[in-house]
Amino acid sequence: MIAVLGLIVGVVAGLVVRPVVPTVMEPYLPIAVVAALDAVFGGLRAMLDGIFNDKVFVVSFLSNVVVAALIVFLGDKLGVGAQLSTGVVVVLGIRIFSNAAAIRRHVFRA
Amino acid sequence: MSDENPRGVGGDKRQALPAEEPARDAHAAASADRGGAEPAGSPGRPGSHGAPGHDEHAGRDERAAGEAVTRGSDEEPEGALAPEGGDEPGVTGRQRLAAALWPPRVTRAQLTVAVLLFVLGLGLAIQVRSTSEGGPLRGARQEDLVRILDELDDRSARLQGEKQRLEGQQRELENSSDQAEEARRQTRQKARQLGVLAGTVGAEGPGLHITVRDPGGAVEADMLLDTIQELRAAGAEAIEVNDVRVVASSYLQGATDVRIDGKAVAPPYRFEVIGEPKDLEPALNIPGGVVQTLEKEQAGVEVSRSEKITVDALRSTKQPDYARSSQ
Repeated sequence: MIAVLGLIVGVVAGLVVRPVVPTVMEPYLPIAVVAALDAVFGGLRAMLDGIFNDKVFVVSFLSNVVVAALIVFLGDKLGVGAQLSTGVVVVLGIRIFSNAAAIRRHVFRA
Repeated sequence: MSDENPRGVGGDKRQALPAEEPARDAHAAASADRGGAEPAGSPGRPGSHGAPGHDEHAGRDERAAGEAVTRGSDEEPEGALAPEGGDEPGVTGRQRLAAALWPPRVTRAQLTVAVLLFVLGLGLAIQVRSTSEGGPLRGARQEDLVRILDELDDRSARLQGEKQRLEGQQRELENSSDQAEEARRQTRQKARQLGVLAGTVGAEGPGLHITVRDPGGAVEADMLLDTIQELRAAGAEAIEVNDVRVVASSYLQGATDVRIDGKAVAPPYRFEVIGEPKDLEPALNIPGGVVQTLEKEQAGVEVSRSEKITVDALRSTKQPDYARSSQ
């Protein structure tokens, strides 16, 4: 419950406070958000499986974000940033879908 | 998430079966996962049941089971997850979800997740807002921006060229319309001048009134012609005699029954002459001139200067039948 509240407070804070993202960070934010979403879905699935571990969640969340940003950064440096970030989004999207499928089986038993 | 899976399922069984002896957990889990339908409590292999010295074996089994489950969940997750629901009556994913949601409990896990989800929500909101507010260029990549900039530069150069071309055209048209206006002005001026000469327009200006009284009926057409000639020689520009305009083609006929251009003109003869009065008057009054000649015939001549003489008798323009401009 507190976790859900944290998400809501985060969204509201983002909309109300309107923080300015540094220009250097700007290209990485969307990918980082998608990566974090993947980690959150994974964590939700783990919780439904009953194997949730907050340490694992923290590590997977942070490493997902960092690795995704790193890939985009590397892609930009190599001149294939657009393609690479598309690839990252596709991979993360597939993982989110499979996690969502598992969550669905738990919640709806279908 | 996938890094959690291999450990995950084995650990799941450990947590889910707290009543079993710890030594047998792994076996139970492994056999349950491999065998699928076997109940968790019943051992897959009786030989390993309850044996305290089989930790290493059990560990290996657990790993094998983990791998099997990982593969299974990748390929057909339902097969791997199906027995779980049957094995653990009472604790389903749905119940875990409900328990986690309500009542709210302040635990370390919840707080950690809350912090991370706060960060996620923040990033999500910022990104959504900047994407929806910043316009299409906000999230564009550097090379796209460079390309767009190049295109805009090209377009602006093209438009600049077109603007210059159109401005040149506009100048040209303005010049030519100025020239046309000037030509029209000059033409109108010329038309007025020629109109004054041809007698098709009225004229006014300084000049003389001349009245020739002829009580004796002695004044003949040639005397009037002399008068007209004298006035022309002195620079008269427009002449009217008794409402008849005298122009280049005018002619006088008759002796005492004077006709100018075929129109009968009766005495007294009133001349309206536009020209320099200082030149006209002496020209008439010179000794042996027009005035003396007329007075010799007993005619009375009155000459008066005026600053404003109006010559408003008009002639109709006549298209020449034979004479053509040679230019």
